[in-house]
Amino acid sequence: MTISTSTELICFLILSSVIVSGALGVVLIENIVYSAFLLGGVFMSVAGLYLLLNASFVAAAQVLVYVGAVNVLILFAIMLVNKQEELKPIKGLKIRRFFSGCVCAGLLALLFRVDITTNWATPGPKAIGEIATERIGEHLFTDYLLPFELASVLLLMAMIGAIVLARRDVISIELESKDSIPQNIIKNSTDNVLLDQSSD
Amino acid sequence: MPHTGNLLFLANQSMPVPEDLLNLSLNAKAILPEGFVLLALIGTLLVDLAGERTAKRWSPPLCYAGLGSALLVLSFQWNGIPESAFLGAFIVDNFSIAFRGVVALSTLISLLISWRYADQSGSPIGEYAAILLAATLGAMLLCGSTDLISVFISLETLSVASYLLAGYLKRDAKSSEAALKYLLVGSAAAAVFLYGASLLYGISGSTSLESIGIALQVSPKPLAALALVFILATVAFKIAAVPFHQWTPDVYEGSPTPVVAFLSVGSKAAGFALAVRLLVGCFSVFDVQWKLLFTVLAVLSMTLGNVVALAQTSMKRMLAYSSIGQAGFVMIGLVCGTEEGYAAMILYMAAYLFMNLGAFACIILFSLRTGSDKIADYAGLYQKDPLITLGLSLCLLSLGGIPPMIGFFGKIYLFFAGWADGQYLLVIVGLVTSVVSIYYYISVIKMMVVKEPQEASELVKAYPLIQWNSVGMPTLRFALLTCLFATAIGGVLSNPLFKWANNAVAGTPIFQEALAFASNQGSLG
Repeated sequence: MTISTSTELICFLILSSVIVSGALGVVLIENIVYSAFLLGGVFMSVAGLYLLLNASFVAAAQVLVYVGAVNVLILFAIMLVNKQEELKPIKGLKIRRFFSGCVCAGLLALLFRVDITTNWATPGPKAIGEIATERIGEHLFTDYLLPFELASVLLLMAMIGAIVLARRDVISIELESKDSIPQNIIKNSTDNVLLDQSSD
Repeated sequence: MPHTGNLLFLANQSMPVPEDLLNLSLNAKAILPEGFVLLALIGTLLVDLAGERTAKRWSPPLCYAGLGSALLVLSFQWNGIPESAFLGAFIVDNFSIAFRGVVALSTLISLLISWRYADQSGSPIGEYAAILLAATLGAMLLCGSTDLISVFISLETLSVASYLLAGYLKRDAKSSEAALKYLLVGSAAAAVFLYGASLLYGISGSTSLESIGIALQVSPKPLAALALVFILATVAFKIAAVPFHQWTPDVYEGSPTPVVAFLSVGSKAAGFALAVRLLVGCFSVFDVQWKLLFTVLAVLSMTLGNVVALAQTSMKRMLAYSSIGQAGFVMIGLVCGTEEGYAAMILYMAAYLFMNLGAFACIILFSLRTGSDKIADYAGLYQKDPLITLGLSLCLLSLGGIPPMIGFFGKIYLFFAGWADGQYLLVIVGLVTSVVSIYYYISVIKMMVVKEPQEASELVKAYPLIQWNSVGMPTLRFALLTCLFATAIGGVLSNPLFKWANNAVAGTPIFQEALAFASNQGSLG
């Protein structure tokens, strides 16, 4: 075993153990601030895995998008609504946890089974390394042009939707004060909530 | 297909020469209908900048113009030579045109019935129309996508827009709850899809569905089966098949009713298109496996959907469960894998568009006048509002499959195709659950028609005077009458529809390949 392969192996082991333990922590720890920070650690380690695979552009994008934007946003959201509130205990939480644990373990066993029984074509195709950025750009403007353009519509719509959800409902407040238009749709649909739940 | 050679070259060679790239033909006219929808989307956003009053005045005509020209262009594309566009990301064949037409038409009708609702609930109209058009854009592109990346992006466009629409009534706690539930379950489904898609990419080294289909023929079995299960779970989530249906009743109940109308038809049609593209086009080697899984899903959906619907007291919840059952019926056509089966699936989807949207138009009209969705509140309605009574009765009878409505012919064609292919279990379950569904549809009609005037519900006794002159009411009436007309007359004149559905199958390469594959296997075995 050469120095490079052993270094690679050691890096891989460290990174994957960080990912697995961090991900478990994200799910299991009760304090969401810890969870959010651990999530950042998981994202960073995944970026490390990309680097090991010689995909530096994807690694940089991972850090920028997931750690820089998504994770920071999650932390902001947690800090802004950090209300101390006693939550009502959910009935049968232990049984629910047991069942969801069983489902997850079953899925894991299935993945392991497939992993072991498959003849993997190792080693895979060689990584293209530094020219990856160019290649991604080429793909974006040739065979992935349609999804690339559609993504802009998706982002535009997500932005509009976020604004719609976040802003104060100016019109409806005006309407309520004028009292000219009946608001019965909303009122009634909240009224009969309790009745309908029993029928499920 | 003039550039297929170039396309293969692009897929095989990792570094195309720039000059070659410039000569590739995009064939962008294939997405002209989507272009019109996009123009209408931008138009509604721009007029919305000028204030709510201008938006109310100009958004509706812009939407009609966009969707109308999209439908017109689709009708011109009909029966053309199937050709791929955007270097293999999109395909125009009769199947994609038919389903894009169903999606666009469902949006158009949903918009027609939503103006009054939006006005009365005090929601801003401009953004509502824009988000609904974005959902349409995603759904239409999903119907023709032939590449995993475009499938995923269009699926996300449709899903994210649907989450936003589900939560559009912000002051209604139920609506926010629906949006949150839909978002959480939908994101999980999207993650599962990505996992399956990454396995497929790993197997084939390509994102094009065609190359994946070829690579799957020689791929390791367990890995491909795992990818199949993951992809199937996403498809089942999108079409709300049991056991991936849990989100449906809550989302349908909480969301604004016009949005539910779109979700139950447009979004479902896109889900079936995705199922056909992935399963028929890509997993043809795993024919036996996915058909078995789909049979299980169909039997569960038909049984659970129709049986649980019996116990519902809310109209929207009942239609949610009934739509789960209807998805089960449509799956029979997909499982058959014969020419008649595919044609029956397309035909039933088109029939379902009219009868379901007609039913939703009646429900919206009733809730606008009384503010209630409860089935018990419909008691004795025929004396106060004959139009709603007639419309709802026709549409529900059609959903239940009573002749001579359009739903009867759709259903009989489906069962006939299933029986001819030897899917006896599916057809028998379908017949039995149809009878169950007729029971709960008729109990609504009985509630409206049979009750004596003194037995009528309080809300019906205090029924307002019927007026059609307020904002958005004429369009609602127009949509209602159109759906009623199609539901009632479509059954009698179903021959053109049969021809249309058969044409859709004949003009679609993936169906023809699947049929040829099946007949090859038949002659070998």
